[in-house]
Amino acid sequence: MPTSSSISAIEAVSLEKTYNTRQGFWKRSTHTTEAVRGISFWVNQGELFGILGPNGAGKTTTVKMLSTLLIPTSGKIHIFGQDIIAHTNEIRKRIGFTFGGARGLYGRLTAEENLRYFAELYALPPKTTRKRIDELLELVNLLERKNDKVETFSSGMQQRLHIARALLHDPEIIFLDEPTVGIDPVGARELRAMVKNLKEHGKTILLTTHYMAEADELCDRIAIINKGKIVALDSPANLKNQMTDDHRVELIVSSEHLLLVKNALSQLGSKEKITYADHAFHTSIIIQTPRLGTVIELLSPLLNNGLIQNLDVRNQTMEDVYVTIIQNEEK
Amino acid sequence: MINHFFRLGFVQMGVQLRMRVLNLWSLVLFFTQPAIFSTVGILLSRAAGNANPDLIYTVLGAGIMGMWSGLVFTSTYDIRADRATATLELIVGSPTPLRRVVGFRSLMNILAGSSSMIAASAVAVLLFNYSFVGINVLGAVISFLLLLIGLWCMGVFLANLFAWSRLSGTFVDLLEMPIALLCGFMFPISVLPLWMQKISAVFPIRWGLEGLRDSLQGGMIDSALTTKWLISLGISLVFYLLSRWFDNKVHDHIRVTGELNSI
Repeated sequence: MPTSSSISAIEAVSLEKTYNTRQGFWKRSTHTTEAVRGISFWVNQGELFGILGPNGAGKTTTVKMLSTLLIPTSGKIHIFGQDIIAHTNEIRKRIGFTFGGARGLYGRLTAEENLRYFAELYALPPKTTRKRIDELLELVNLLERKNDKVETFSSGMQQRLHIARALLHDPEIIFLDEPTVGIDPVGARELRAMVKNLKEHGKTILLTTHYMAEADELCDRIAIINKGKIVALDSPANLKNQMTDDHRVELIVSSEHLLLVKNALSQLGSKEKITYADHAFHTSIIIQTPRLGTVIELLSPLLNNGLIQNLDVRNQTMEDVYVTIIQNEEK
Repeated sequence: MINHFFRLGFVQMGVQLRMRVLNLWSLVLFFTQPAIFSTVGILLSRAAGNANPDLIYTVLGAGIMGMWSGLVFTSTYDIRADRATATLELIVGSPTPLRRVVGFRSLMNILAGSSSMIAASAVAVLLFNYSFVGINVLGAVISFLLLLIGLWCMGVFLANLFAWSRLSGTFVDLLEMPIALLCGFMFPISVLPLWMQKISAVFPIRWGLEGLRDSLQGGMIDSALTTKWLISLGISLVFYLLSRWFDNKVHDHIRVTGELNSI
């Protein structure tokens, strides 16, 4: 936990959120959904903190609680040391948030009109509003489309405009809930560059995403949540190291040589984890091993004799870590 | 602070005008409906044997009907549209209270709805050769302003109601015609049973409308008229205070239930 001398930007303690849904007209029944089940974490000032998790894990609910849009069923949230329930309005002036997807803008208004509308909700003076709108539209590369209606924008452009909207009042904390969802690779790369740029400018950022590479590239620390609980929390490097020191050796073997390769692999011990995936004309084999040298030594003659079509060695990725953690949780 | 209040009002009303009022469907609602009501009212009255049908109940009734429909539909549509486009959570998550946004929007809706009165009157004058003579202008202006205040207070109250739950949109149809009938938009309220008249007494628009009718019939500003004005103003104030109280409840409720979004 943070020390008393340094106040965290965000501190969540034992957060829980339960939704009650009533069903039926004559026979009323209440269905309870536990979206978030006691999660605690903190985010330091200037840190880029990521939340990863499968659909329905509680990522968006967590972000909505942190951004004052939902009241937790129990638990505490402090933003810069202020209780989020007692100081809702003060906190709203210091945070900005975006939620993924094309919703959240007025399509019949232009980009500039949308930003002016939201600037007024944050009581920005007119002079500041004019300056900020141009600055931000330039930042998100939409200055040339300033006077175009938002309904003519692509998903990526709308997502960038969302970020500009969230930055209008120059918030100290920015919540980005799946900012690259539905955006093409080029647009997603531009967005990631923008997020990095915001961090360099000292913003505290909380990011949720489905994309492991994105989290690995951007985040200082990552919390992986599943079924409303944090199941892992550390820096991307530590998460990868904590999970395993294993290397991944990926092979592609034609069906006719599969038996020979399998026989060779049977010489490996229990330290290796081998998985096979059969395809129409070939089989993919993944070997997770802490003894890379031994495995390569065993496979080299097979590769030289053309029994293995392709061999690829790589370290564990964030995706491997994520899948392993989530699969272990499911078990 | 005061500057921001007016700027916010200007922006909200401007956006409301462009987004909700200046489109074909709204214009149909604000102009065509009252024109049809006015025409049918006059024709029905003539068919019933009135050589000179009562301008007050046909034209005024058609005008107020248009204003009321416009208010109910636009106020409720606003919240539903914001919920559907996920802009409601952006508004609620900003430092500006939702009631202020809703208040300015309702004001724009009512000002736009006033065009219904113009449409209904234009039909009476242009098609049926009616003339507005012998009216108490000052009384009519004050009554009309009080009617607008009453409508605004009810609009703000209703908008809060529709923010409460995703399902509240189904309540719209229940509101429009029953209140129009209860408040006697197109006929004298005295024809209703006493218990119905008592129910209608809780709506400020009934009293503003009665004041407007009295003034348009050339009635003097006497104690009977000022009593109606005071009742209209008093009930409007009650609706306003109720909506202020309700606003905080709505703000907490939708953040507990998670009904800020349509999903």
